[in-house]
Amino acid sequence: MSTHTSAATAGGAGSLLSGLEIRRIDWSRLRVLAGLISPLLLLVVWALAVRAHWFTEQILVPPAAVLDAFEEVWDSGELPDGLKISLYRLAAGFALGSLSGLALGTLLATSRQAQIYIGPTFNALRQVPTLALTPMFILIFGIGETLKIAIILKATLFPVAIATVEAVRDIPRAYLEVGRALRLPPWTQFRRILFPASVPPILTGVRIALGRSWMVLVAVELLAADTGIGQLMEIGRQMLRIDIVMVGVIVTGLIGFSLDRGLRLLEWALLPWKRP
Amino acid sequence: MTAMKNFVCWVALACGLMAGIASTETSAADPQTIRIAAVAMQVAGKPGYMAAAQYVSEDQTLLAELEKRHVRLEWIPISPTSVAALVNEDFTSHRIDFAFYGDLPSVILNASGFQTRLVAPGNLGNNVYLVVPPTSTAKSIADLKGKRIALHRGRPWEVSFGKLVASNGLKVTDFKIVNLNPQAGASALVAGSVDAFFTLDDAYLLSDRNVGRIIWSSHRAPVDWKMRAELWGTREFVEQHPDLTQLLVNSELRAVAWISQEQNRSRYIKDLADRYGYPQSVVQRDSDNANISWKDYWSPLYTPSVTQHYEAVVAYARSANLIRSDVDVKTLIVPTFVREGLKQLSLDHYWVAQATP
Repeated sequence: MSTHTSAATAGGAGSLLSGLEIRRIDWSRLRVLAGLISPLLLLVVWALAVRAHWFTEQILVPPAAVLDAFEEVWDSGELPDGLKISLYRLAAGFALGSLSGLALGTLLATSRQAQIYIGPTFNALRQVPTLALTPMFILIFGIGETLKIAIILKATLFPVAIATVEAVRDIPRAYLEVGRALRLPPWTQFRRILFPASVPPILTGVRIALGRSWMVLVAVELLAADTGIGQLMEIGRQMLRIDIVMVGVIVTGLIGFSLDRGLRLLEWALLPWKRP
Repeated sequence: MTAMKNFVCWVALACGLMAGIASTETSAADPQTIRIAAVAMQVAGKPGYMAAAQYVSEDQTLLAELEKRHVRLEWIPISPTSVAALVNEDFTSHRIDFAFYGDLPSVILNASGFQTRLVAPGNLGNNVYLVVPPTSTAKSIADLKGKRIALHRGRPWEVSFGKLVASNGLKVTDFKIVNLNPQAGASALVAGSVDAFFTLDDAYLLSDRNVGRIIWSSHRAPVDWKMRAELWGTREFVEQHPDLTQLLVNSELRAVAWISQEQNRSRYIKDLADRYGYPQSVVQRDSDNANISWKDYWSPLYTPSVTQHYEAVVAYARSANLIRSDVDVKTLIVPTFVREGLKQLSLDHYWVAQATP
């Protein structure tokens, strides 16, 4: 959310200043700085709210206390251990989910039979919110690692599969015909035509799926887990340690942000023709 | 123009926010309502409160006296799934003045800097249970070393669990504690995801359905191993409105005096079972404390064992890293209301202070 606003601010400021004929500044660097405005503003509002005692100190802890809590849970190993296990769950569930999503999506897009037989079930299942499946998943998978991986698999599979279906279907007929007319071997057709044409929308789907999986994972860890970043936050809440909860919120946000950035970098590296 | 509009919007929003905050502050200081939170089971859409709280909520004498002063009593039912966190959050955000709830969360709250006071002890405490799946070979807590145990952290029975574990020469960290609320803990036990479940009298519901086996309960343990849940008030309210606090404490005393009479015992058990939607036999077995008489069980006296109990809670919370600063138990306990109330109700010779076994 905050990155959106900041990007908009940066764009607005950019066009305004360039109108003033200041052109020697490297805008790409300033844009990064402009992205810091909204988090800093948030920090200022937070500090002010603490000062003005808008809420009791147990509920709204000062930023410095959150920093202390961060050091505390980092040094005690709770945070690194929680992160390690959460990221492992994410990696396992996400790898399984996106691979099967890719396979299922390709199948649905290329085979009429698959579309007829699996299509309706697929479309019905994808309407069920992942978190709503938690109680049922707990009964089936228990509360161990399988539960979290299954939940992430569900959260990843559908967006990736849908993106794949659309991507494959939207490849312009003309491209395929050119390939056929030139009698390109199948591998070349895939490498030069199918892959470049379908990868961008699929990657977007994967990126959305990754963000969603991370959120869902943290939410499930809040409900049913013995470890992980979500559980660290839940225990913090039970102990009335809102500083620890805040550490969890901030770390979760930063990780979600970095994951998204990481995939954008991947897009940039994989799709050289898409670079601005 | 739009900038101007935006500015006006922001100012309006800010004013609204401040007004909102101001109004919550005045209502907190407003003695026109007393807001009490209590654990409640929702049966047929009606909240049924724990132990004596139900009788306080129905006490016509209290309601009449409050009405004379134009004070309204507002009850906030708290779901048993997460009492500790919910009540503490309600206290810190000034949504309640009193709460019937447990020992450990009260200590956690006071360690955070928010001050509450124990104004009336409830009873000697609820029994706690260790349940394993019926097929388990475990016979004692020692057999469960290294195994997964469902336990809701920060709830009062965590302290009892700590005592049980320590008495067997073990540490809480010798077990894989799975932090689950009692409902989820029961499901986890039935689904076989945990090797044991530490809980309250809902243990009987599992054992009666043959999905769990109770291998230990606090019935035979020292009395202090039970978990206490009683009437707490914010320091602010108790100090600013001692007269209203006294009325509330008197009502609690009337309730426990009635319950504690042997001839009312079965009636109490039946009513509690109905309110909770439990079979009567569950409440019956849970309340069957062989080493304490029914009357003494309901004693509201501040015996030294109350202080010792809370000191043990603080010590456990410190050792388990649940709190960072010490809590002075003596400041938490305000015995004046009970002393005065017993006198007013001519009950000052009804209970005799005795060292609990």
